[in-house]
Formats: sequence, C-alpha cells, structure tokens
Amino acid sequence: MTERDLLNRIKNNPDAFSELFKLYYKTIFGYILRRTGNFDDTADIASDTFFKAFRHINKFSYKGISVKVWLYRIATNEVNMYFRHKQKHSSVFERADFENKNLFTNFLYEDKKELEMELQKHDQFLQVLDGLKTLPIKYQEVISLRYFEGKDNKEIVEILNINEGTLKSLISRGLEKLREKCNQI
Amino acid sequence: MKNFEEKLNQITKPKVTYLKHQDMLANAITKAKDKSVISWWWLSIPLYLIAALLMKTIFMPKTTLSLNIHDFTSRETYSSVLFFIFLPIVFIVINFMSIRNIYFLSGSPKSISFLRTAWFNVLMIIFSILILIIYSL
Repeated sequence: MTERDLLNRIKNNPDAFSELFKLYYKTIFGYILRRTGNFDDTADIASDTFFKAFRHINKFSYKGISVKVWLYRIATNEVNMYFRHKQKHSSVFERADFENKNLFTNFLYEDKKELEMELQKHDQFLQVLDGLKTLPIKYQEVISLRYFEGKDNKEIVEILNINEGTLKSLISRGLEKLREKCNQI
Repeated sequence: MKNFEEKLNQITKPKVTYLKHQDMLANAITKAKDKSVISWWWLSIPLYLIAALLMKTIFMPKTTLSLNIHDFTSRETYSSVLFFIFLPIVFIVINFMSIRNIYFLSGSPKSISFLRTAWFNVLMIIFSILILIIYSL
C-alpha cells in the first residue's frame, strides 16, 4: 500500500491512523531522543507530535512532501518549542484515555529503562549532544538531521523548508561552533 | 573541519529498536475522536413539548403558541423551567465544548472535515436556542 492509499484510508476511517503510527513512531521517537537525550521529554514530544499529526491529517495534502517528511517537520517544531521555552509539554498521556493505564505506565517504564541503558552506551554521542544543545536552534536542527539522522541535503531542505544555500551555510557555521564547544568539553 | 565531520559521522548513536508502549498510545490517540458524543434523546423532551403546544395552537382556535406555553408554565412551573430553560442552556454549553473538542481534532471550522464532524452539535445548538426563544416569547 502506498502512502497516498494509507492517507485516503485514514481520511475515510481515522482508526487507520494506527497504521501510520506503526510505520513511523519509532523513527520519529528515535529522532527526538537523539535531539533531547532524555526519555521523558522524548515520550511527551513524540506523543504530542503524533497527536498533532492525527488532528491535522485531514489537512495534509501532497505538495511534494511525503508523510514521513511532514512528521519530521512537526517533530522538529515540537522539539524547537521544547528548547525555546523549556516548558512542560501538556502531555497527551494526561489527556488520552487508556484502556489499562497501569499496563501503559509499566510499558512506558520498561521502555524508559531500556532506552536509558541504550543512551549510556553512547558516551561520545552524549558529549557532542551536550555541546550541540548550547548552540542556537537553527544549528541544532541541521546538524542533528545531517549527522545523527544521516539525512542528505534534499531531505533536510524539505523537512526544514529552507533553501539549499541557507542549509549549507548553517551546516558550515554550525559545525565550526560545535567543534569549538566540543574542544571545550 | 573534515576530521570533525568524520568524527560526527562515525560516533555511534543511540537507536530505538522496540517500544512496548507504542500500540497502546496509538489506540488512545485514535480514540480521542469519540470523546464528544451527546445523546439526542435528552433534547427530544422539550422538543416534544414544543411540538405538542404547536399542535394545540394550530388545532385550537383563538390560541397562540405563546399563550399555550404560558398556560403550560403556570401549571407546570418546575418542569417548564427544567425543560425550556435549564436543559437547552446545558445543551448549548455541552455542545459548544464538544465543538471545541472537534476543532481540536479536525482543525479549522472552515474545513469540510470539521463541518462533517460538527454538524450534529451545531444542529443541537440551533434547536436549543430555538426552544429558549419560543419560551421567552
């Protein structure tokens, strides 16, 4: 099934959104985790990202970007809001109805343990991330997408909705600043 | 700079391979749309009374709807306040809150998906206002 078919199915039957969720939740969760380095914030931001996507899925239309790029775009905005305001996100976990809240909390706790162990295995990455988080958001976005997510110029341009020249200069200046920060660490 | 770029590419990054909470969260998010359904039947009580009084107005000469409603009000003070004021007001408030929820899920009121979801709530609000107007005549 193509993305377009899936979108049409979701428009007719919102329950089909769970298929989109299965396809991309892990990818987007990973992206947010690699930007924040914190499980709790990641879980909040990722759930908000998909809740927003669910709310606006009917407005989504193919204008040259895929659903995956669109989700990356929402997630990037959510992470940026988190960094700008450092505010507690109003979590979907508080708004949503879970059939078995205890089971959900247990699953979340197990995922947290697992991913915190995973984070600890990547010392060097965490050091770079600490440095990256001190840079302005415009550099964080491009460096994270290029070097942590392995996206090429075309994909980053689509996700951030900027032109290629701007992207190249952001990467170049961002790398310079990050190198200085990493030397200080 | 090239070395630093290479270093960034080479350092291992944390990976997310499996998330236990994923399916339950997907269910909870997709269920959020079902939160705003109100029973139509509650409004049918004042509507039925209005319809009965309208029939009385049509078939009984020299009576008006306003007269019949005031006649009913003087005989059934508490019921009339409950059916013609309290219930419609509660319905207006609840339906506005529901529309807010629908807006939250479906986006702008200008969109077709919003209207498709909210038409019933809008209808309920119109009926409730109509009942309030008729009662206050």
